[in-house]
Amino acid sequence: MTSAVKPSGKPAKSVMGTRRWVAMLFLLPAAVLLLAIVAYPIIYSIIRSFFDQSGDSFVAFDNFQALFTDEDNLTAIKNNVIWVIVAPSVCTALGLIFAVLTERVSFGAAFKMVIFMPMAISMLAAGVIFSLVYQQDPERGVANAVVTGIHDTFSESSAWPGARPRPNDDVLAGPQKGPYTTKDTVSAGSPALLPLVAVKPQDLETAKPATEPKAASGGGISGTVWVDFKPGGGGKLGAIDSGEKALKGIKVEAVKDGKTVASATTGDDGTFTLPKEADGAKLALPASNFGEKYNGVDWLGPSLITPAIIASYVWMWAGFAMVLIAAGLASIPRELLEAARVDGANELQVFRRVTVPLLAPVLVVVLVTLMINVLKIFDLVWVISPGANLKDANVLAVQLYLLGFGTDTDQGMASAIAVVLLLLVIPVMIVNIRRLRRETRR
Amino acid sequence: MTALPDVVKAEQSLGSRIAGVLGGTLVRIFLIVIGLFWLLPSFGLLMSSLRDREDINSSGWWTVFTAPSQLTFSNYDALLSNDALMDSLVTTLLITVPSTLLVVVIGSLAAYAFAWMDFPGRDWCFLAVVALLVVPVQVALIPISSLFDNLGIYQSLFSVILFHTAFGLPFAVFLLRNFFAEIPRELLEAARLDGASEVRLFTRVVMPLGGPAIAALGIFQFLWVWNDFLVAFIFADPGSPPTTVAIQQQARQFDNNIDVIASGAFISLIIPLVVFFAFQRQFVSGVMAGAVK
Amino acid sequence: MRSTGNARKRVRTAAAAAAVLSLALGAAGCGDDDSGGGGNGKGGGQEETVKLPKLDGQSIQVAGTWTGPEQKSFKVVLDEFSKRTGAEVKFVPTGDNVAGFVGTKQAGGAPPDVVFAPQVGVLQEFVEKGWAKPVNSAVQKELKQNFVQGWQDLGAVDGKQYGVYYKAANKSLVWYNTNAFEQAGVQEPKTWDDFIKTAQTISDSGVAPVSVGGADGWTLTDWFENIYLSQAGPEKYDQLAKHEIKWTDPSVKDALTTLGELFGEDSLMLGGKNTALKTPFPDSITKAFTPPDAPKAAMVFEGDFVASFIGDTKAEVGKDAKLFPFPAVGNESPVVSGGDAAVILKDNKASQAFLTFLASPDAAKIWAERGGFASPNKNLKISTYPNDVQKTIAEALIQAGNDFRFDMSDQAPAAFGGTKGAGEWKALQDFLKDPKDVAGAQKQLETDAAKAYK
Repeated sequence: MTSAVKPSGKPAKSVMGTRRWVAMLFLLPAAVLLLAIVAYPIIYSIIRSFFDQSGDSFVAFDNFQALFTDEDNLTAIKNNVIWVIVAPSVCTALGLIFAVLTERVSFGAAFKMVIFMPMAISMLAAGVIFSLVYQQDPERGVANAVVTGIHDTFSESSAWPGARPRPNDDVLAGPQKGPYTTKDTVSAGSPALLPLVAVKPQDLETAKPATEPKAASGGGISGTVWVDFKPGGGGKLGAIDSGEKALKGIKVEAVKDGKTVASATTGDDGTFTLPKEADGAKLALPASNFGEKYNGVDWLGPSLITPAIIASYVWMWAGFAMVLIAAGLASIPRELLEAARVDGANELQVFRRVTVPLLAPVLVVVLVTLMINVLKIFDLVWVISPGANLKDANVLAVQLYLLGFGTDTDQGMASAIAVVLLLLVIPVMIVNIRRLRRETRR
Repeated sequence: MTALPDVVKAEQSLGSRIAGVLGGTLVRIFLIVIGLFWLLPSFGLLMSSLRDREDINSSGWWTVFTAPSQLTFSNYDALLSNDALMDSLVTTLLITVPSTLLVVVIGSLAAYAFAWMDFPGRDWCFLAVVALLVVPVQVALIPISSLFDNLGIYQSLFSVILFHTAFGLPFAVFLLRNFFAEIPRELLEAARLDGASEVRLFTRVVMPLGGPAIAALGIFQFLWVWNDFLVAFIFADPGSPPTTVAIQQQARQFDNNIDVIASGAFISLIIPLVVFFAFQRQFVSGVMAGAVK
Repeated sequence: MRSTGNARKRVRTAAAAAAVLSLALGAAGCGDDDSGGGGNGKGGGQEETVKLPKLDGQSIQVAGTWTGPEQKSFKVVLDEFSKRTGAEVKFVPTGDNVAGFVGTKQAGGAPPDVVFAPQVGVLQEFVEKGWAKPVNSAVQKELKQNFVQGWQDLGAVDGKQYGVYYKAANKSLVWYNTNAFEQAGVQEPKTWDDFIKTAQTISDSGVAPVSVGGADGWTLTDWFENIYLSQAGPEKYDQLAKHEIKWTDPSVKDALTTLGELFGEDSLMLGGKNTALKTPFPDSITKAFTPPDAPKAAMVFEGDFVASFIGDTKAEVGKDAKLFPFPAVGNESPVVSGGDAAVILKDNKASQAFLTFLASPDAAKIWAERGGFASPNKNLKISTYPNDVQKTIAEALIQAGNDFRFDMSDQAPAAFGGTKGAGEWKALQDFLKDPKDVAGAQKQLETDAAKAYK
């Protein structure tokens, strides 16, 4: 298929006396294949789309109506619209930028090759490539590795993610993820033991053993925050057993009547000391101590999956746009640009006022070609979507496949989708034919 | 009156030159960053294919920079003994080569007829072929699968080849007809006067002269068929599928055996890349001719 | 058609497990008496318990889903059959869609002689379409000798015997990371209450106790089925599977409430319910065994095929990864099962003899020795299996006697029990999202079931 139809030369008269049957012979193989495999299905699909699932009874436009009411079909249509609008325009915009920028750079050719190369790769391989990129675990997927990397440089992570008191603990209580507050008020003279659990063993490898708090001087409050879980089990609940580790760097606040009156941070051995203002207050361990690690973006989750797959398409096809546009650029007469520059226009103005208008026909061709291509997108969606989210990423071609060849087949509906796809390319078909006839009449 | 504009002009050009240099550097840096960014996904696939599956499942491929000892060819070794995938490469060749040849031969024949023979309805027929250029393959999937089923060739090599050939023809006829029409009339007439038959004319004059266009078409069709997934997915024998489908089968079957998939995917894209680099010019001219399915 | 893509995938995955399991264990060198590395089937000195006819010059085609190392193991079984009878046997891989494969071949007039149906539904479909041929008396005699009634019945339709279950799957296993158990100082729990208590302790130790792959709805149906089978008993299970009792039945309420003890407690599941809902099944396993000595989670529930996924991590099955039977909610631990049944498509002497052979302990023994296999054949000695993991899997299967049950969601219409984002899968995912709403989940399940069982 094409939209860049550029017929050249008039059809010539036969080279003297070709017999008709020879011409027929030359045409026969192509004619048979085209009629049987390309043309016949069009008619078949149109007829089949008016029949029900079994193919026995005529249902008129019921399939088409269902196409626009059924939830799965609607998702497919919605996504297809997003695809057709977003993917070609992004590809064309990037292609334009790349083509213009590479014009005057020494390594332009190499750059173009890098961008164009993905076009030689199968959509399937590209799908495999991008399902690796989008893996959720930041330790495995490069996209999330970058995102979490950036996130973590700008916001500090908490000291002990996930640490919490035992359920029904005697000392501490609080909502999930903190803050955890002591049930009773503390008083000077009796040190506070604040036991937590659920700390990853590997996070504790460098932690010091917890020590009993020393009595604080001057009426202050002392205490220890530690992991009340002895590796391998055993140990007394609420008591610091040997082998139990200290939690350093935990912020402890003394709260009286909802107001924080003093705060301290635990040392290497888990102990802390609060001034005497804390006497009679409840101790709170704010939630900021326990925030979970940022885990990156859910690229292939229901909301981002279509944009994520579109990005992989752009990766493949921006090069196509770039090459065509670069060829268009090369054919713009230098003198026109120079003339504009001499008239005092700056580069941006030259670009906007001269280059883009002159490129317009090429840009249209690129856009239309990509749109037709995107209309039929199948492989990328099929390969990248995790099974559970296929419905969220659904497009017409995938829906056609599922209805035509999946488990709950409905060839009537599938044919209706085929007809819709066909209707959508008919304008381009007409433009191609018109252009060709204009050329031949000339 | 005369000096002033000159000074302004000089300043302008100096300023724009500085801006130009700065801009030039920025542009270069931008392009390099973009280029690396574009390479990153494929590079990730290559690196993943060079790590064993335990490593792939426990950390990202970029850890090879700090621990290069992970790199191993074991996946490729395993691939060589993976019958399913090795057979699939052969199947892919068995599909790709005939489909390409058939399109070139059948397409040239028809294109020559359209360009240089006279028969009633010639222009209308050619218009019809052009109209078929944009027909999505999806339209044909269901009707043709049942047609082939009735003929008893559904899910065989033959059915895939037929389908690819048929859908490659509109573009082939269109491209070649335009190219053949440019052949100087005198050449053909001279040959004809020498007593060459129509067939001889075709094989000895038209085909050789059509070389560049045929090459572009061949490359294009080759890559298209090699990279195809959907048509093979439906029409190929699931017992001995081509590479794209075989890789997909591996993916669905074990879910996370990314070692096989990564190395298999990489092997499958080596041939297209080699073809692409070897015949870059023809490929680009194929693309330029509007050949994008 | 009953079989669905996903159910098929599961079967397929199960199939994939075998070789990896045997490989992993072989590599671990579990110190078993069988010193033959790789277990190359010591076909030569086999004792023969079954008499087979001489079939020189005949040849049959056997089709099955098995690929890779599994196929290799099965080919050893075929070789033994050839050796004993003189018949030639060719294995044909079917791909995932067995029903589709047989359909095309049948239409072309050249079906394989014998095919392995990976699900009861597929077997029944073959019978309904008239493709399957009943077995002869020699096969029946062998079946009576070696299989409990339950396994025989699964291969029969309307009182006629068609299938021989050669290979069985055990879907009632909890796999755990031994390092995490050791670190937390806990033992394998036997009952559900123990299980919850153990999970709590593991959670306190700093490791998430259970990894749930809730993004794949079928893992949730398997959770429910195991609890239900153990709590309500096999009779109720059968009734619910046929939708003879409603999902609003109090027994369903009890099972969901029990399941809620796990699903309702975020500290017991890796990342809580929101993460569980987003975790695909393979990831749920990786997370329990990566890295082996400091995993994110300690336990993961599913069938024997989990072994193949553990094979994809650095953990060693038998050392870092072990398993225990699904904890008993009622009196007994449940055994939810599945299996590959051999069905004859072309009735001839050789294919009947082949099924006779498959029903014998001799055939089971060959693959059992190679690992990655469990047989429902009660006369196969447990000691045949090469290692403890395999023995646990097979023993649970045999001990269940007639009380094992096939996967309920596989028996249900696909719209209810086997469709992504619909029916039971969706309803249980919604339940995982809001485990307090037991009544709401029951209502949803019943509405969907009523629609599907028509």
